[in-house]
Amino acid sequence: MDNNQDSIFTRWIIGILRNRKAITGVVIIFLFIFLAALGPFITQDPTAFLSTPLSPPSWEHWLGTNGQGQDVLAQTISGARQTLLVGFTTGIMVVLIGALIGGISGYYSGRIDDFLSLLINVFLVMPGLPLMVILASWLPPGPATLTGVLVLTGWAWNARVIRSQMMTFRSRDFVSAAIVSGEHNIRIIVLEIMPRMLSLLASSFIGASIYAIGAQVGLEFLGLGDVSTVTWGTNLYWASNDMALLTGSWWNFVPTGLSIAIVSFALTLINFGIDEVTNPRLIAERVWREKIPIDTVVNGITPVVKDHE
Amino acid sequence: MNNSVISIQNLCVNYITPGDPVKAVNDVSFEIQQGEIFGLVGESGSGKSTVVQAVLRTLPPPAVITGGKVIINNKDILSISNTEVLQYRWKQISIVMQSALNALNPVLTVREQIEDVLKEHSDLKGKAAEDRTKELLSLIDIDVSRLDSYPHQLSGGMRQRVVIAIALALMPPLIIMDEPTTALDVIVEREILAKIIELRKELGFTILFITHDLNLLLEFADRVAIMKNGRLVELDKAQKIRSGGKHDYTQKLIRSLPSASGPREKGLLPKPKSLVLGDQPILEVQNLSKSFYDSGIFNPMSIDVVNNVSFQVFPGEIIGLVGESGSGKSTIAKLITRLIRPTSGDIFLKGSNLKISEARRVPLEYRKQVQMVFQDPFGSLNSVHTVYHHLARPLLRHQLIPEQKLFDYIIEMLETVGLRPGTTFAEKFPHEMSGGERQRVAIARALSLSPDLIIADEPTSMLDVSIRMEILEIFARMRIEKNLTIVFITHDLASARYLADRIIVLQHGSIVEEGIAEDLIQSPKEEYTKQLIKAASPGWLKSLSFNNTKEKDVNHV
Amino acid sequence: MNQSLNYLLRRLGFYFIAAWAALTLNFFIPRLMPGDPAAIIFARFRGKLKPEAINALRETFGLTDEPLLGQYWSYLKSILQGDLGISIAYFPEPVTNIISSALLWTIFLAGFSLIISFSLGTLLGTIIAWKRSGKLDSTLPPVLAFVGAFPYFWLAMVALYIFGFELSWFPLGHAYGDDVTPGFNMPFILSALYHAALPALTMILVSLGGWMLSMRNIMITTLGTDYISFAHAKGLSSRLIMLRYAARNAILPNFTGFGMALGFVLSGALLTEIIFSYPGQGYLLLQAVRAQDFPLMQGLFMTITFAVLAANWMVDIAVLFFDPRTRK
Repeated sequence: MDNNQDSIFTRWIIGILRNRKAITGVVIIFLFIFLAALGPFITQDPTAFLSTPLSPPSWEHWLGTNGQGQDVLAQTISGARQTLLVGFTTGIMVVLIGALIGGISGYYSGRIDDFLSLLINVFLVMPGLPLMVILASWLPPGPATLTGVLVLTGWAWNARVIRSQMMTFRSRDFVSAAIVSGEHNIRIIVLEIMPRMLSLLASSFIGASIYAIGAQVGLEFLGLGDVSTVTWGTNLYWASNDMALLTGSWWNFVPTGLSIAIVSFALTLINFGIDEVTNPRLIAERVWREKIPIDTVVNGITPVVKDHE
Repeated sequence: MNNSVISIQNLCVNYITPGDPVKAVNDVSFEIQQGEIFGLVGESGSGKSTVVQAVLRTLPPPAVITGGKVIINNKDILSISNTEVLQYRWKQISIVMQSALNALNPVLTVREQIEDVLKEHSDLKGKAAEDRTKELLSLIDIDVSRLDSYPHQLSGGMRQRVVIAIALALMPPLIIMDEPTTALDVIVEREILAKIIELRKELGFTILFITHDLNLLLEFADRVAIMKNGRLVELDKAQKIRSGGKHDYTQKLIRSLPSASGPREKGLLPKPKSLVLGDQPILEVQNLSKSFYDSGIFNPMSIDVVNNVSFQVFPGEIIGLVGESGSGKSTIAKLITRLIRPTSGDIFLKGSNLKISEARRVPLEYRKQVQMVFQDPFGSLNSVHTVYHHLARPLLRHQLIPEQKLFDYIIEMLETVGLRPGTTFAEKFPHEMSGGERQRVAIARALSLSPDLIIADEPTSMLDVSIRMEILEIFARMRIEKNLTIVFITHDLASARYLADRIIVLQHGSIVEEGIAEDLIQSPKEEYTKQLIKAASPGWLKSLSFNNTKEKDVNHV
Repeated sequence: MNQSLNYLLRRLGFYFIAAWAALTLNFFIPRLMPGDPAAIIFARFRGKLKPEAINALRETFGLTDEPLLGQYWSYLKSILQGDLGISIAYFPEPVTNIISSALLWTIFLAGFSLIISFSLGTLLGTIIAWKRSGKLDSTLPPVLAFVGAFPYFWLAMVALYIFGFELSWFPLGHAYGDDVTPGFNMPFILSALYHAALPALTMILVSLGGWMLSMRNIMITTLGTDYISFAHAKGLSSRLIMLRYAARNAILPNFTGFGMALGFVLSGALLTEIIFSYPGQGYLLLQAVRAQDFPLMQGLFMTITFAVLAANWMVDIAVLFFDPRTRK
């Protein structure tokens, strides 16, 4: 009889997936994941030094070859694997840390909050790239280092946002009512408040993933990733090293760049969709605009559209 | 002979939704004569605010005006061009908005916000504009030194007055006042209303006054219109309405509001003839104080919200804690339920057994015995959980009812507070219920633990007027049926008189007066109490009109 | 007045703590790595540098035989005296010298792009939120969001390829041409602007969407407030309400957002510099990574951090100045 956590979650998911933007984004992401997983089975070996380097797209190599004579299409598709893996893993970790620190800080206030807030703000204000560069330089290159470095520099933003939401909920009466009825604090956070924060947590995850993918690519481009592996970032590193620009071999860097953009954009779309679902006023306004003749819409003056004369 | 300032004919307004449009205003027509005070009354969802915003055409999306005419100065506002609409606004009609406290732009000064209307609609510039601004401020008794203040530097009452000054700036023939004083304390509210009426006599404009408080309106309106669900259900002279009106709904509205003066009306829930109270108080508060610190390195300030308050509550009685905003009454509620800790003082429950103010952890036992009903029925329920969850959680926590009996017990609780059939309501989510229903759920939740003491913090102030009595009656009934003691917190002296046995009056964190309800009302001893009673009684207008020229009470602005 | 000063000083105190945290991080990172940092350095550079250089390196890191706390104190002292050590890639140039000239170029390029991007984005966001009419609002945000989804440096690559390589409209890199002499002369200034144009354009394009969206969102919330309804009812002109009532209020939280995004945007700027071989901090960063020049890397980290903190404090002052609610 009692609605448990599962059904709140499923209801929320269904609500999100009804939104046009969200579902478009989700489909695109799943497409990439699918291709990435299938990679080795459908493309040529990305590491094989096959043909003439820097040859333009042809029937043999749909996207041409790079500076080492490797197939660009294969490189693009298999590059997705590690990039997306690191990206989403970072996303999850960032949200978990953010929820933990931000949640505790926002709920308990007082000295714990003062300390954790300070921690959050310090990490927030420090510029990410230089710090990442230093860390990644000292540590052995690879996905673990990347994930660690990204999480360390990226957790603070979400922690702050989650903390702020937690503080808002904490002051609401339904939390006071739960406290007055004797509920444990942990239960209140998990059972009462977290279900209200599903959209925020989802947006945080998506935002963190977007950040992780972009930053990861940046670091690898600088040469701080494991340049012997095939990822989107290292693809661009090699493309730059092999003077792709100056030799005019655009196919060397365009596919990877486009893939990154499409994935990031798809994630952004999902976020837009979540926004619309949590703020139904946006949808109401859109519907309103669609149903009214365009010349009657002026900001600040209610339109008059008579349905009978 | 047609002396009408505005004529609304067959007005229809819809709100567009993804599904069918919602009819917010459905075929409403009325006229207002020059110089009269016309009242428009309705509860939430009645469409009264929508009507006046439609008249100004300031309804935000997704609203659309779908029919009718609004004729002012021989022009139909609904068919003129957009540029003409801008010209009409403020020159022909001005409005003092609902929640006028927020109507002022936080980043502009008072001067700038009065002068921009003058600049836009008149030829006044520079010194002339400034003079006019000063003149307007003095009309509503604001010192000109406030010209360059920002809204956040003014009190609520002062901001209200500034908005009125802006409304008067161009001296329009019609001024609309949409719940202009609802957010203010009772005494301040009455003062401002008296001022408005005095100005009207002096300057001769017409007023369209919107409110949900019919009693307030009957004091000074000439004619009153009542709206329900988008339609006009009654329109007549004030005296006729006061004596009953034609429509059922009107009568219901009138009967909904108890009065703070005169004899306690017949037909309302009678108080028990005798209360067998014990000689030991169930709750004792001694020298309770709470201060909040405004931390600043250079100038730390401590604000005393509750100041050395002591009182006793005996088993079985209902105590009314009455005070305006800032009196500390809600803080006392939070202190008793230990949502916050006192700065000093003691709270004893059932004798000296549970000295609750000291304990770091509140014992579960205490949580069972003391429960609370909150002011906002929507906010006190969690929108993602069903009614069943709200009642089941506390019971499971305290392990009061064995699992197999849980369902039946909850259904029974729901039906006790009037939610029938209980099984239907148990599955509902908060947004699927009305305000009154939600509050009943909140009461059922509080009752389910069989507490000894219930703190009710303004349980009816966010509900529609017509259902407030029903909720109060639940409390009265439960007191007897469930052997409860109730601390009833409110700003409304009249409902305290209605429900409570004893009343304690609070001001600025201290107790001003206390006593048996009827005695306190009939023969108050303290000045503040007298003011409160006068403000809540019929005839307050006349009493204030004479006092207007006297010195102001320092406490009110 | 008291309160504002109070607030600013508290913020300053926070920035000092953040700076201290950065310094401490900088100090501990090499020491926390698996293995002895001295050994790592030695192993990496064996054969590439003379022994004196390696010793100089050790000194830079403060890897002396003193106890840890002692090392920490000497480290802090040297930083405060402006001594950031000796560079490896540009041995024996002190890090401070190398960075200071690059700093100016970065501030010029990034600062310039940032200001334009923020102003333009805010303006666009205001107009789009105000107009609310289907066309603009449904095309511009998604388009700019898409453009913003590309990595900064990738767009720089594309721009350089198309406009520099193929069309030759813009130079292929560097801050100024070979034919001019640095100084306050017209040819130099013009050349500098010409060379900055393309990189600035890419940076502006990528970040525009972000500023526009955030301003638009805040504006939409603002437009739903009571004081805007009241302004409409007063019959004030559209433009007045949009600017003086809505935008003037909406820009305040946007400013705060600006401060917070500063560090992030700067990172993008650095990567863009690399593509264009622009002699700023970003370019230096690349050289440092390539040569494993740790003193330079850490010096860059410190300078960039301090710059961002200082910029944040200036934003705090600006917000205080523009928001009357902070005055009593």
